[in-house]
Amino acid sequence: MIERTVTVVPEDGLHARPASQVVEAANSYDSSVTVGPAGGDSVDASSMLGVTSLGVGSGDAVDLTADGPDEQAALDELETILTTPES
Amino acid sequence: MTNPTQRPLIPDLIDLTNEPETKQEAIEALLDLAVDAGRVNDREQALADLQAREEEATTGVGMGIGIPHAKSEAVISPTIAFMRAPDGIDFDAMDDEPATLLFMLLVPESSGDEHLQMLSSLSRSLMHEETRTALLEADSVDRVESIILEAVEQ
Repeated sequence: MIERTVTVVPEDGLHARPASQVVEAANSYDSSVTVGPAGGDSVDASSMLGVTSLGVGSGDAVDLTADGPDEQAALDELETILTTPES
Repeated sequence: MTNPTQRPLIPDLIDLTNEPETKQEAIEALLDLAVDAGRVNDREQALADLQAREEEATTGVGMGIGIPHAKSEAVISPTIAFMRAPDGIDFDAMDDEPATLLFMLLVPESSGDEHLQMLSSLSRSLMHEETRTALLEADSVDRVESIILEAVEQ
């Protein structure tokens, strides 16, 4: 398992489009992926309800973990989504 | 929040008899509850704001739940409306699960991130199967009201 802490850049936070991109990405890897507020309880990143429950805003730090055969690629994609401003 | 008419959820905003059959019908029917309760002063504008949010990403969050929501200039005070669709309707959820529990969250444009807090509290509570089951099985508006109020006040 690998983990990483990133600061959420999109203005909407982990909500609306960025949230659905995270869930979509998490669903596209074999690894199990979690997301949660830094130092807090994490949820399954492949669940939209779970991700919505976090209430993570722009500028908040989140802990990401991935565990599985493609964990590196999964975390890289999640980090990209969470650190890219919305166009 | 001490004025009872300003509570986000009141019995008039819960309808257990109307069972919408499509996502569009659900959004319009939930919005009508808010309009009829005097929470929205421009239905067309509120609907446009709800649809804009829906186009950005679906509010079908999975596990049988749809939570269309918007921050809108047409909204007078923070509002939660609720309906059920016992047969399940397609809400474009990523888990393909038909939505049976339908919530609408509306907040005024000036309310900062209040709607996101309501959304996260409600979602957190709905992650528990017992909350979902209780809402599906509740046989009175009062029961639904107390389950949802407990959920958003956590």
